Amino acid sequence: MSLLKLSLRNIRASVGRLMLTALAITAGVGFVAGSFILADSLSDTFSSIFESAGSRTDATVQLAELAFGEDDRTLSDSIIAELEALDETAEVRPTVTIDTNSSFRPFVVLDAEGEEVIPQGPPIITFSWDGTEIEDQISLVAGTPPNGIDEVVLDSTYAEAAGVEVGQTVNFVGPDGPASFTLVGLVEFPVTGGAFFVIFDFDSAQVLYDKVGQVDTVELVAASGTTPTELIAAAQSILPPEAEVIDSEQAIEEAQSGFNDFIAIFRNVLLGFAGIALFVSLFIIYNTFAILVSQRIQQIGMLRALGATAGQIRLSIVIEAVVIGLISSLVGIFAGVGVATLIKAGFQAAGGFPETGTVVTTNTIIISFAVGTIATLFSALGPAFSASRVSPIAAMRNEKAGGSSQRRRVLIGSVVLALGLLLLGLGLFGSGLATATLLFYLAVGAILTFVGVALLSVLFAGPIVNFLGRPEVLGSSLLVLGLGLIALVAAGSGLPDGIVSTVSFVIKMFVSGVAIITGLSILLSKSTGRSLGLGGSAGGLEGQLAKQNAARNPQRTAATATALTIGIALVATVGTVGESLKASFSESLERGVQAELFIFDEETNSAFPGELADQIAEIEGIENLSRFRFNEVRLGVDANGDDDIVDIAAFETSTGESLINFSVVEGSITDAGDSGVLVFTETADERGLSVGDTLAVDFPDGESEELTVSAIFEDNSVLNSPIVFDLAIYERHVTNGDDFFVGATVADSADFESVKAQAQAVAADFSGVSALDNDEFRDGQTGQIDGLITLINFMLSFALFVAFLGVINTIVLSVIERTREIGLLRAVGTTRQQMKSMIRWEAVIVCLFGALLGIILGVLFAWAAVTAIPDDIISTLALPYETVAFAILVAALAGVVAASLPARRAARMNVLEAIATNS
Amino acid sequence: MTAIDTPPASMPAGALAAHTDGAIKVYGSGDTEVHALRHVSVGFGKGQFTAIMGPSGSGKSTLMQCMAGLDRLSGGEAYIGDTPLSSLNDKALTLLRREKIGFIFQAFNLIPTLTARENITLPLDLAGAKGDQAWIDEVIATTGLADRATHRPNELSGGQQQRVAVARALASRPEIIFGDEPTGNLDSRTGAEILDFMRRAVRELGQTIVMVTHDPVSASYSDRVLFLADGQIVDEMADPTPDSVFDKMKSLGD
Repeated sequence: MSLLKLSLRNIRASVGRLMLTALAITAGVGFVAGSFILADSLSDTFSSIFESAGSRTDATVQLAELAFGEDDRTLSDSIIAELEALDETAEVRPTVTIDTNSSFRPFVVLDAEGEEVIPQGPPIITFSWDGTEIEDQISLVAGTPPNGIDEVVLDSTYAEAAGVEVGQTVNFVGPDGPASFTLVGLVEFPVTGGAFFVIFDFDSAQVLYDKVGQVDTVELVAASGTTPTELIAAAQSILPPEAEVIDSEQAIEEAQSGFNDFIAIFRNVLLGFAGIALFVSLFIIYNTFAILVSQRIQQIGMLRALGATAGQIRLSIVIEAVVIGLISSLVGIFAGVGVATLIKAGFQAAGGFPETGTVVTTNTIIISFAVGTIATLFSALGPAFSASRVSPIAAMRNEKAGGSSQRRRVLIGSVVLALGLLLLGLGLFGSGLATATLLFYLAVGAILTFVGVALLSVLFAGPIVNFLGRPEVLGSSLLVLGLGLIALVAAGSGLPDGIVSTVSFVIKMFVSGVAIITGLSILLSKSTGRSLGLGGSAGGLEGQLAKQNAARNPQRTAATATALTIGIALVATVGTVGESLKASFSESLERGVQAELFIFDEETNSAFPGELADQIAEIEGIENLSRFRFNEVRLGVDANGDDDIVDIAAFETSTGESLINFSVVEGSITDAGDSGVLVFTETADERGLSVGDTLAVDFPDGESEELTVSAIFEDNSVLNSPIVFDLAIYERHVTNGDDFFVGATVADSADFESVKAQAQAVAADFSGVSALDNDEFRDGQTGQIDGLITLINFMLSFALFVAFLGVINTIVLSVIERTREIGLLRAVGTTRQQMKSMIRWEAVIVCLFGALLGIILGVLFAWAAVTAIPDDIISTLALPYETVAFAILVAALAGVVAASLPARRAARMNVLEAIATNS
Repeated sequence: MTAIDTPPASMPAGALAAHTDGAIKVYGSGDTEVHALRHVSVGFGKGQFTAIMGPSGSGKSTLMQCMAGLDRLSGGEAYIGDTPLSSLNDKALTLLRREKIGFIFQAFNLIPTLTARENITLPLDLAGAKGDQAWIDEVIATTGLADRATHRPNELSGGQQQRVAVARALASRPEIIFGDEPTGNLDSRTGAEILDFMRRAVRELGQTIVMVTHDPVSASYSDRVLFLADGQIVDEMADPTPDSVFDKMKSLGD
């Protein structure tokens, strides 16, 4: 027999009480393990594909990396014949390809209704193929390879999505408008990432992709008896300097590095959210152990009397924590496999995600065990120390106290909070620090702030809970929140379209309905003294008992609420920053944009052929029109030694400020002509420029020009380019004639809707490009922010789930702890129904407290962030009222759900046994 | 009322298992100040069974707790053997409890998750000591727990549980055993059985026992009864009977 045995026996005796805690740790560890498993599985899948693909190629010829000013360099297809002529080559496989980085529009299949069929998120990839099937890379599953300018091959997923079959003539929208090809075959790839593929033969692709006489990459296979090194040397000797030859290993590495970077980012984002979930579970573990220690206080006192040292008591709790941590981590690793599968399924449903195996590395196992065990141990340390301070006389007294003294808590809480706020301040406003350092300060500052508030909340948990629990307060807040939510939902989006918004609409309506009815019932029962029978009233005796129970142990209430507070605070922060970003963005668009029609590719923001603008300009009623093009130029470093290469925008300066508001400080835009330049105020300051000065500009084609500053402007929020000049200058150096954006105004005399319809008809011939009016443009731009907020909230829901477990956990434990008291209440005539509603209202009050605290903290964090973020990104603070109201009501509802099981338990308790219970 | 102190000097050196010298215990401060012990000097002879009696609030439990090193005196000194307790830090005091003192509590006596035998050897296990297995077996046999050794407390009757507690106190052969109302939770027949067993431990094994009780019948099992009132020792009685103790208590209560 030893301490270990005692700890193990204690765990066994409190298995029920520890179950939810273990579940919380398991959930946190599961998320961590899942992130690693998913990332490792992805990386494993990609590696094996790249490696097997690479093993069939000995060398790859490609264009050497472009330096600034070498934009026009291409690889001539004359090298193909030269390479074929070499004795060292057995196979030469040339490809031309276009990817999303190019300004070239892909060919997009039109379905039977003439609608573009595009993948959700990933791009359409277009390349040439000579028909060679390569294991683990590309295989022909139907028909024949493409051969000739009128033949095309699609990947089978794309063909299925578009509803087209081999042998059929398929309509496309291409870079130059509509086109038709015969679908002659279907291919499949082991990994598509959700992308669609359009494939032509090499010669046709050269013509169709506007790359006549060019080649992008050439894969080489060495003749038998030739080593790859000899092949590379031979190829290098005949190739021009702009071509480079890399061996298969380098090729694999280059192909893989992008993916690995992506996977690492993906994993780290997931881990960030996993960390939040884990952080929430820390509070639950702490809470459970604190309660266990207080329940065992007599036992601990007896052990102390019998000669257990303070250290032994501490150790016994620590052992308990470690054992629970180890077991939960083990289960967590299995849960991780589930989490990985779940996330994968989510992404696959949302738009495509590669099929992967499940790779659980030793690393994952070690990290999961370490994270789960250390987290549990860390949270149990506080309770372990307070257990070791239990006096031996406790064995002889029927005392329930325990935990550290209030004064000590408040002292520690204040120090931690101050430190947290200091770090937050440094992170937000500190200048001259590296971004990583700033982020570190922010993260640690936020964590410390949460812990500090959690410790200090003991001070105000009692009074606030007492206030919240007053029937008139509870009733009217539920009523107001419910009505408010309905009003906001109705005012916001109107009637829902699409499944996601319908579901959210229905949930919000349900939640506000419940809140309104409950609120009314509380208020009515308060004034009439009668309950409407909705599960007992908060105005009645049970409600008041519930309130007192919640207020009686502020430490417990604070700890329970904290888990919820963190979750809600993060949702509120994200919501508030997002809402502010939207408001600021929308404001700056309103201020900065005068154009009434916007023509651009909403999905990818990629360029489209100049003919589109030509056709739009011909529409009757179009007044001012300008194309907008973007690129980079080299200015030489400024006074700070920064910004050697800067972004530029080019447009028709003759349109002045009729489309974009520049807020010109000095000079005039229309003066720019074909040798003037417009400079953003900050850039002008840094480079000491004023109107009339000359500025030397190096263009991407390697040429230089001296431009004269014709205006200094203040508002850079729309174009986001500090240097702006006329298209005439741009066209001297960039010749492809593609536009990124076209803006226009419509004459007052013309019918706006008809002009817009004509513009839309023109845009329809160019894949992905749409013509939008001002409102649509603004909604589209701000809608992307909404999408991001939804995604983040989805990931945060994991942490909220853990917090929810925490609420159930504390209520279960406090019901067990109050067994005797509950028995007593039942003995003196409390009905089961009253018992249930007492427990339920207590949970609701605690949850409301947690949610309120969370909203306040979240808005404070968001305010700090908004203040710290430069004004040209976020200038105003806007509150997400709908999210706030919804979050509070959902928290209250979560309280009801969380309490349902413990409430049943309390109601069913055997009265006599309950009273006889000693501890 | 006259305070009768039992000066340690009156006993031969080395014959005392424990004693106090001017023990003072004050709880709280200012208006709420409570004097639980007022200059108590008392000695407990080796191999003696002493009962401490007194009305509620007389300080009898406080005296025992401070003697046993569970609580600290505000003034004066308590000794276990020759060791002054105030000189020990928490760790040393804990080790002293572990090695030299045994306890029998009124309730919350046993660890519910451990078997009877595990409960009995708990103090030894805490010390990491093997203990004298033959002695432990003898104690278990004497307490009549041989066939119950592997049972958990909730599978034992109240009397059996308290016998486990007595056996636990005896297992490490402490210099002195303190009992806090050891029969307070038992019916009179079971209580008598336990007290009888405690007296046998003193007679046959030479064990020293100090027991706090408010029950005259329990006190009558002891060799000597100390009466406390208002934080002071007011009387003592050798070879008590239930009636003589009862009469004494009645007079104290008046």
